[in-house]
Amino acid sequence: MNYENPHIPEGINTSKEHPLKEFAILLIGSVVLILILSTVLGASAGWLAGKIPFDAENKIAAIYDIDEDVDDKSSPELTHYLQSLTDKISKAQNLPKDMKITAHYINSDTVNAFATLGGHIFIFRGLLEKLPNENTLVTLLGHEIAHVKFRHPIKSLGRGIVVSIAISAITGSTDTKILGDAGLLTVLKFGRDMEQQSDEEAMNTLHALYGHLNGGAELFNIFHNMRTEMNIAEPAEMFSTHPLDKKRIANFKQVANKKGWQETGELTPLPIFFQAALSSSPPSEAYSID
Amino acid sequence: MYELAITLILISLGYFFGRRAEKKHYKSIIAREKIMNSLPAMASRMPPQDGNYDQVLVSGSVVIANDYFKMFVAGLRNLFGGQMSSYETLLDRARREAVLRMKDEAKLLGASAVFNVKYETSNISGQTKKKMPAIEVHAYGTALTKV
Repeated sequence: MNYENPHIPEGINTSKEHPLKEFAILLIGSVVLILILSTVLGASAGWLAGKIPFDAENKIAAIYDIDEDVDDKSSPELTHYLQSLTDKISKAQNLPKDMKITAHYINSDTVNAFATLGGHIFIFRGLLEKLPNENTLVTLLGHEIAHVKFRHPIKSLGRGIVVSIAISAITGSTDTKILGDAGLLTVLKFGRDMEQQSDEEAMNTLHALYGHLNGGAELFNIFHNMRTEMNIAEPAEMFSTHPLDKKRIANFKQVANKKGWQETGELTPLPIFFQAALSSSPPSEAYSID
Repeated sequence: MYELAITLILISLGYFFGRRAEKKHYKSIIAREKIMNSLPAMASRMPPQDGNYDQVLVSGSVVIANDYFKMFVAGLRNLFGGQMSSYETLLDRARREAVLRMKDEAKLLGASAVFNVKYETSNISGQTKKKMPAIEVHAYGTALTKV
């Protein structure tokens, strides 16, 4: 009997396809899959989160001890003024009765303001110092209050939680950062839609309170100038939560034209104590930035 | 962004070095297989009946490590299912290398053939998910040396 191991041609037990081709197809496929999944899941989670009663949102917000991080007590006059403006704007925006907005002052150089769960809005001294008049301040507050009105904080929270759970379920672990980042992009994109919605509501508020839009676009100029001053390039639009500054200013003009609202008009000055209150309060240590 | 950059670097390192090692290995396997063809390895359990043979157990084993590129592609493949071709070459190389080593041992004994050849494959990375898998293939059979 003859025994032999003949030479067998290569490529029977292995695939002839170039490994990079498989890599490219799989990578594109999984990124598309994750983008679609996180968009669909994110949108539905955001929609569902919007149905959560504001009362329940308050309970979530109550977990955080806000008083510890703000400087409301050290600047009572200023906080009172911000709160009274906030109440006025809340009325103009027809907020539901149970939706109470609380304005907080933070004594820090940061040029920013934000809204969070439970109807809390925070304004930093750094931004307040740059505001030229009450109209611009109302635009800022109107924008932040509109976030609460449209339930943006709870929607973002719901969306973020669901998308990150979905992604960690797909990838099998939470440390697959490369795929996790793809989920973030869609979350940020929704954030931008929200910013636009809030910008428009802020314009409505400005018009309702003063009858014209003068001073509103100044807010975006402040952010734009700050970036130029500090030499920070605006983040690429895809990665940014906010629309580009120029776009926001252009949008302001567009809405004014469309609705036939005037962009000129008398500006209301800030109260006399405003600048004094800002400069007199020593920066709190926790937030001071050198 | 840093994680993304590190992952990309690991993938390209895995690709270039893994592919280089694989090409080199295949070249060596094909060359050695040609030489070793004179010593057949059979799966049959029935030894030749044409005389008396000494029977000795011979074995060859090899451990081959995975590379990051293969692991990444396989991870993506896990999402969709289908042929995991990135691991196919890894196992193919390991099986052929193990048989070659087994034949080397048989040749030292002056055997004319190896019968009843069997393979064992095991993952030696343990149970931890995060570790890069390395595989061991063990081939063994009965070397027959004519008396």
